[in-house]
Amino acid sequence: MKVEIYDALMRRQASRRDILRGTASAAALMGVSTALGGLPTAAFAADDVRAQILKIPGVGKGSPTDADWQKVGELCLGPTMANVKKGEFAGVELTFMGLNNQNLHNFLFRGFLKPWEAYTGAKINWIDLAQADYNARLQQSIATGTVDFDILEMGAPFEGDTAGRGLLDEMPAWVDKQIESDDLVAYLKPPVGTWGGKKYRVTIDGDCHTFAYRKDYFGEGSVTGMAKPPKTWQEVNAATKAVMGKKDPLTGQPAYGYLDPLKGWGGFGFYFLENRATAYVKYPGDPAWLFDPDNMKPLVNNPGWVQAIQDVMDLIAAKAYPADQINADPGTTAFSQFLAGTGSMLTWWGDVGSSARTSDTSVVGDVVAFGINPGSSKVYNRKTGKWEEKYNEAPNMAYLGWGVYVTKRVSSDEKKRKAAWSAAAHLGGKDISLWTSAYPSGFQPYRQSNFNYDEWQKAGYDRAYVENYLGSNADSYNHKNAAIEPRIPGIFQYYSVAEDELAKGYAGKYKSAQETADAIAAAWEKITDQIGRDSQLKLYRASLGLS
Amino acid sequence: MSTLQGDLLHTVETGSISAGRRFWGHAALWLSAAWLVASFVLQASHDLGWTEIGFQTWRPVLYAYFIWAVFLCVTRVVIYGESGKKALFVLPAALFVVSMVVFPLLFALWVGFSDWNLASPTGRQFNGIDNLRHMLTDPFYLNALINMVFYTLAIVVEYAIAFGLALLLNQEIVARKFWRVTFLLPLMLSPVAVSWMVGKSMLETRFGPVARLARWLGWENPSFFGDPLTAKITIMLMDAWTFIPFMMIMLLAGLQSLSREVLEAAEVDGATKWQRFWEVIFPLMLPVSVTAVMIRIIFKLKLADIIITVTAGGPGGATDSVTSFIYREYRDRSNVGYGTLLALVYLVIIVVGMTGLMNLADRIVKRMTGRL
Repeated sequence: MKVEIYDALMRRQASRRDILRGTASAAALMGVSTALGGLPTAAFAADDVRAQILKIPGVGKGSPTDADWQKVGELCLGPTMANVKKGEFAGVELTFMGLNNQNLHNFLFRGFLKPWEAYTGAKINWIDLAQADYNARLQQSIATGTVDFDILEMGAPFEGDTAGRGLLDEMPAWVDKQIESDDLVAYLKPPVGTWGGKKYRVTIDGDCHTFAYRKDYFGEGSVTGMAKPPKTWQEVNAATKAVMGKKDPLTGQPAYGYLDPLKGWGGFGFYFLENRATAYVKYPGDPAWLFDPDNMKPLVNNPGWVQAIQDVMDLIAAKAYPADQINADPGTTAFSQFLAGTGSMLTWWGDVGSSARTSDTSVVGDVVAFGINPGSSKVYNRKTGKWEEKYNEAPNMAYLGWGVYVTKRVSSDEKKRKAAWSAAAHLGGKDISLWTSAYPSGFQPYRQSNFNYDEWQKAGYDRAYVENYLGSNADSYNHKNAAIEPRIPGIFQYYSVAEDELAKGYAGKYKSAQETADAIAAAWEKITDQIGRDSQLKLYRASLGLS
Repeated sequence: MSTLQGDLLHTVETGSISAGRRFWGHAALWLSAAWLVASFVLQASHDLGWTEIGFQTWRPVLYAYFIWAVFLCVTRVVIYGESGKKALFVLPAALFVVSMVVFPLLFALWVGFSDWNLASPTGRQFNGIDNLRHMLTDPFYLNALINMVFYTLAIVVEYAIAFGLALLLNQEIVARKFWRVTFLLPLMLSPVAVSWMVGKSMLETRFGPVARLARWLGWENPSFFGDPLTAKITIMLMDAWTFIPFMMIMLLAGLQSLSREVLEAAEVDGATKWQRFWEVIFPLMLPVSVTAVMIRIIFKLKLADIIITVTAGGPGGATDSVTSFIYREYRDRSNVGYGTLLALVYLVIIVVGMTGLMNLADRIVKRMTGRL
């Protein structure tokens, strides 16, 4: 036995007697094979693992590093070991295509999967993509028949493009069992992740936008003059205008209110207009809010959507945004502005919540609070064509979360297929999800077990903070009037062209919000006709659960 | 007089080529050509749905082309002997150009006149001149073309600055070599790096050093990309900062090659510094200047990376270039057919425009240098 292995095991408090025992030494050898210090002999006691991974690196101890990701991946290998023999995938090479946003996603996966590679003997090659390049790369691969990846990180909105064209491999039953899919929050259960009744997705993320705000902007004597944080978009706009010309209580820089991203983000920027619009247009009991389910006509130029665009235009006209906001994309608003202390309100995915306290670049950890997306004091009923004066809220389940999928490339090779699904299942494991929820990862909670506040408290999180942050996610996921995105082909083409037209509208190139909305609707009609109205309508209705 | 008798210096092969060798040469050539045509026709028929027989991909046709190309080269020698070897000096290069330029161009034309959205389940559909019609009424494309006119006109100012710097670096100044290298540094940087270092960091409105300086100078809320005009000017400045050194180094090389006798004669004749520059140096430098400006225009017409990284064409299309718009149309919207047509039309505009510009520049140079 090598000295460093022995030292490593000693650090893990394994006794000499334990090491000499066959079973324990096998586990120990496996554990240290990645030179990470080895596994504790009782590593797979689930509660113990969960407690251990939540201490890596520890709340308030800086951003996790690659070594931390590897440690987490190693500690969570238990379910893999139950289904795969050591070295079973020796000689198998897989290609994994995913994102490199904020140096997360694929960077995390590499760390998580390194111990998996060491244990199984498989090798993974990586294709890293920037968020803005993702859609194009995927679409080109599909259209030109050059799918060159075996495992794919993908959002549910693309299931129409991939599963709908028979490019994905059906999930084996053992994977479903290994990832304990019953634990998923309700809205991520089928039909999400399925196509034609078959399961294709290992969920690794839950998506919804939540409302993040600065507590120090609200309350008695605050800069907004408002006793409570806003509950409606009307109040959000009022608060944004109220802080103009005042100083930020935390940084001493100019105070700003809500941060709308006014620049496109490869289509993803459109979600942020949706955040405002769903409160106006997602009428309770009516699942349709983007297109008319009878004829696929866009709803984006109805009075509700126009009101949402008008709200943004009002703030631009009032000069309520930071300078150069017209050049700020969602990445800027969240990470360069809100977390760095500029602005007081933001809607974003949940990773802003976990990053606020654990990221090195965040300065707002102590003053940030969360809620579900603001509602509206009025709602537009598309069926009657009239506004109704009543409170409405409709949190936006933007993107439906990332998942890991396996492509048909591996279907003919059972060993490779099992390896691909094993890697996917490792990333979608129950325990690993707790860690990705708790630390900067680019992913937000997506399992019922992620909402066990006691675990978070034990890890060192402030109970009130975590209940507030996780509660906003849980409330959004479980909301009866949640706005669910349709899984239709080319959905990001609609969003992308809308971003261009919105940019023109925000820059004053259209006369009004209505004209901007009409331009988006016209562009959407062209896309629908180009892709095929009948097929789009059929898939849209199916995704809404309509016959 | 036969070749053998008249061209002994360049001919080392003396034997005549047998009829059998010629026959097998022709046979191999025609067989490979027939195979290429047959596989192309078969695959095209299969793709068009006329026949069920065909290959899964076009790769076998590509292989047939490679084999035909090899046979074409080899049979030059087999059939024509020594004189066939001469063809081998050019033929591979010609075939390479055909493969890498002509075929892709033809393919681009085929795609450009198609309705091809990558998300469409029906795939590519021929749509005649619909894309062309759409282009003529597309305000985004028109806007990008107009922006390109402004971006290109900025070259006049860039040229003036580059000429000034070149004149300066041509003088006997202290640490001349150091300054030459220093002025060249921006050109060595990738435009994407420039975008991040300058556009996203130095010009960042809160903490960027340029924004801080602007605030110190009294600009309350400095914004470099906030309104259309400022954004356009900032993009022009960043692009100019990157590429002025390119023109400068070309002009400096031109200045260094000027005949000292001519300059000294002008000095002896009593010409002032301005007269020496305007009447002697500038006209003599015109051929170099024209070359530098032409190459710069070509670079400018391809301007995209800085725009894509910093503004994504905004605000409201104010900084969009044709290339950045095509990139968005192609990448974000997967609108391959229309995007390709836009690129082809832009290519035609560039070729026609540059040809006209070169003729005009040629006339101007001739007229101005004719005075000397």
